[in-house]
Amino acid sequence: MSAPRAVAEIERLPLLWVCAASAAALLLHAIQVPAWVTITALGLVGWRLAALLGAARLPGGIVRVGLGLGLVAAVFAQFHTLNGLLPGTAMLMLMASIKLLETRSQRDQYVVIGGALFLLLAACLYAQALVWVPLYGAQALLCCAALAVVAYAPASDDGRAPAPGLRTREVIVLAGRTLLFAIPLAIPLFLFFPRLPGHFWALTSGDEAITGLGDTMTPGGITRLTASYAIAFRVRFEGRLPPPAERYWRGPVLHEFDGTTWQAGRYAVTDAQRLDCLTTPYRYRLYLEPTFRHWWLALDTVMGPPSPGVRYTEDYQLIAAEPVTQSLSYSATSCTRVRSLAPLSPAARLDDTRLPAGSNPQTLALAMQLRGRAGSDVAFVQSVLAFFRTGGFTYSLTPPPLGPDPIDDFLFHTRSGFCGHYASAFVDMMRAGGVPARVVTGYLGGQWNPYDGTLTVRQSDAHAWAEVWLADRGWTRVDPTAVVEPERLYRGILDLLPLGLSVPERLLHTWPLLNTALERWDALNGWWNERVVGFNYRSQLTLLGDLGFHSPELRDAGWVFAATLLAWLAWVSWQVGRQQGRAPQDRLGHAYTRLCRKLARTGLPRAPHHGPLAYAQLIVRYRPDLAPLVSPLLEQYATLRFGPTSASARDRDVRAFERAVTRLSVPKIPLRASTAGQRLKKDFPGA
Amino acid sequence: MVAFAKLRERLRQRAAEWARRRQGADRLPLTLARRRLYILPTRAGMAFGALVLTMLIAALNYANSLALLLAFLLAGFALVAMHECHRNLLGLSLLEADAPPLFAGSTGILHLTLQNASQAARYRVQTAVVDHPEVPVDLPPAGHAQVELSIHAARRGLQRIDRLRVSSSHPFGLFRVWTWVHAPIAVIVYPRATGSLPLPADRATSAGTWPRGAGGSDEWFGLRPFRDGDSPRQVAWKAYAREAPLLVKEYSSAGSPLRMLSLDAARQPDIESRLAQLARWIVDAEAAGELYGLELPGELISPHRGPDHRHRCLTALALYGSPDAAVSAARMR
Repeated sequence: MSAPRAVAEIERLPLLWVCAASAAALLLHAIQVPAWVTITALGLVGWRLAALLGAARLPGGIVRVGLGLGLVAAVFAQFHTLNGLLPGTAMLMLMASIKLLETRSQRDQYVVIGGALFLLLAACLYAQALVWVPLYGAQALLCCAALAVVAYAPASDDGRAPAPGLRTREVIVLAGRTLLFAIPLAIPLFLFFPRLPGHFWALTSGDEAITGLGDTMTPGGITRLTASYAIAFRVRFEGRLPPPAERYWRGPVLHEFDGTTWQAGRYAVTDAQRLDCLTTPYRYRLYLEPTFRHWWLALDTVMGPPSPGVRYTEDYQLIAAEPVTQSLSYSATSCTRVRSLAPLSPAARLDDTRLPAGSNPQTLALAMQLRGRAGSDVAFVQSVLAFFRTGGFTYSLTPPPLGPDPIDDFLFHTRSGFCGHYASAFVDMMRAGGVPARVVTGYLGGQWNPYDGTLTVRQSDAHAWAEVWLADRGWTRVDPTAVVEPERLYRGILDLLPLGLSVPERLLHTWPLLNTALERWDALNGWWNERVVGFNYRSQLTLLGDLGFHSPELRDAGWVFAATLLAWLAWVSWQVGRQQGRAPQDRLGHAYTRLCRKLARTGLPRAPHHGPLAYAQLIVRYRPDLAPLVSPLLEQYATLRFGPTSASARDRDVRAFERAVTRLSVPKIPLRASTAGQRLKKDFPGA
Repeated sequence: MVAFAKLRERLRQRAAEWARRRQGADRLPLTLARRRLYILPTRAGMAFGALVLTMLIAALNYANSLALLLAFLLAGFALVAMHECHRNLLGLSLLEADAPPLFAGSTGILHLTLQNASQAARYRVQTAVVDHPEVPVDLPPAGHAQVELSIHAARRGLQRIDRLRVSSSHPFGLFRVWTWVHAPIAVIVYPRATGSLPLPADRATSAGTWPRGAGGSDEWFGLRPFRDGDSPRQVAWKAYAREAPLLVKEYSSAGSPLRMLSLDAARQPDIESRLAQLARWIVDAEAAGELYGLELPGELISPHRGPDHRHRCLTALALYGSPDAAVSAARMR
């Protein structure tokens, strides 16, 4: 009874591995695709497993086809297309799972593993962050191990149980070793495989926004961001860093206000600003994390677009044609203090002094009053800031909710809020006093990371401030929050309001060891994003230039690529050969050869067709005098060579045999003229 | 499709012939050297290559570094797998091949002893007599294994198995490494043991006559397991119906243990049938523990019994009339 069961076990094993690889591939996409896709696909895998364990029956062909068509229709209903990365992934997940249902032969299993590998590729297309890399590596290992198991256990059509084969550990080691050997090839290939600038065909971009700055601001809308420790971007400066109080990073600029919410409104694009830089410009390279938005961030006032594909607006924003879906980097030059050389256009003045009629009347009255008392726009700004400073305002991340006239409510009742509240109220008052003003959202701050020499700006550094138009200077930055809470300029929100954070983040922030670890991790991530994820056509040309190719081209990359491929092949060939190793020396065989050589001196050489026992018989027949010496030795050899013994006992006996052969001395008595001389000729052809 | 299969078959033939010319004749023991190992991707391997290529194009199109790395990693994986597949046979030794004689029309076994001298195990080494099913075997580090290959014999005589195939697609099934071994292995194929004539009476009483009614085989002897060539008439069908194994009723011819078998005694229309009848008689006589001898034109084997004698007689039948007879006679002496 045990033999058929053994066969079943062996056949079950590959399918279990294939199911595991499929399920893992599906789980890699659980975040991206709609939940029903993951659940359905996992359900199909579960069905296959249940059938394997005998708890369910596999569906027939008609059911499978119906299921397939139904799922295609469902995917189409969800996405209204089957084209594109996300619908394609969903389709692949479902189809691979249906394929699993009809998996019987080895070929089917290969197909399913191929599907799992392709899903892994799709996962890479979604997220390239360093955190995911170990997971991807594990999945690659799982798929390769499944491949090994499937290849090992072919369908046994003769019904015989295959020999007990590879153990799980051996399979993992085998797949892991093969992948490890592949890494030295993958890296040079990655560096030197000719890259192409641009795409083969257009890509459909994802339209899902994840987090970051919005194109609207309702005071209170930024609260969610302030608690996030995630990195927004990192900056590496050439030369000096801007002082902490100057680290304002411009994001969306908001112009339109309806009484409660600020909106971007329209923006005018320009090629170059007529700007006068009042400080030395800062030159830097910014490594932006994916935002799924169109803005590229830059230090305060950027002097021009960093890339031709990015539009530069009159309010100093950088707006890209494509949303930032992959981490990217760009070089820019910025000034923190500028003077506009061109006057404000009437249209812009109109936009930036417009207020909704009838909203926030108390604020309007106060602003008119302050403006009336102030002699100039600058004095008006000063008096409003003084109002914030002395009016009993407090900085809080958890302000009370505001009523229908939020700014009135904030200024005269709650007097508690964060940057959004202050910037919003300040700009509202400026406009009420007739001064053009706008809200700028972005980030304030940046933490120096000593491990990679960058400033790290986190989502928790999100900030909002104001810009007002002053006649002789142009747009001037004013940060009312800094008046209320001057510390905010120098320290992040996390330092200011540790109690506003969740426990793990507070822990992270107050524990220096963890913080150091985090800095290192950030630096590593930065390296990854910059050097690996961001490696492209340009980086490749730079690398080739560094290697000494003058005016490098694609062809040079090809040459280096071919050379490394050959070098690697030689290395792998050597490595794989080496692991085979030499056999342990055949000591027994050696000793036997010595013995035969000794015996040959008596005139009785061993013919190739003589086994040890046959040889012993012949020796005994022609040299009975040698029998007591030689026969036991030859018999011992035969036992050692062909008999069943344990490894340790054999080792000991082989050594004893060697010594006996060494001790043996064969008396060299000439062969007596034998009566059977004729036969001797035949038995010992060499004699 | 048929034309394609034909073309494939012809290509295979040509490749095999080319390999034979290139490698020359082999002698066992034989260690597989680099020069004689051939390796090609399997269908799965080609599909894997297509998969990696698709991945490469997708990664280049999306300018996605991690996807590109994955594609290169898998490409490297396949190339390492190729080396490992090659290693799986490289240095493998075929120590000896030995095939016990078999009857024509039956399937016999070729024992092939493989030796793995390396420190690494070898898995899924598939060996086969060409045109026969493959037998996989795993070899532990520094270990031996004996595989039993099936061979089929159509006609009596000295059947030469001049080509063995050793192959493996371990570890990932992406490549298949193989070699042909052209070692001279000969199997003696006895004539098919058929014929329903009763054993001729022993020389003492016979001289061509048929004494005692039903051929002297009237004394109930017992039951024995069915063997190839037994007449259906002798099968104990009643026992079989009671789900016993297939048994044959035996009768011993009391008092006549000495038989001299000859072509003349086997009254069959043609020579092959006569040889078959003689083979049948030898098998039966040996099974009954009788003494028997064989008389063929040009060869006389005096009565005796035992496995060696049976082999000698059957071999004489197998090689009767063939040019191998002389060779064999020299070998068996």
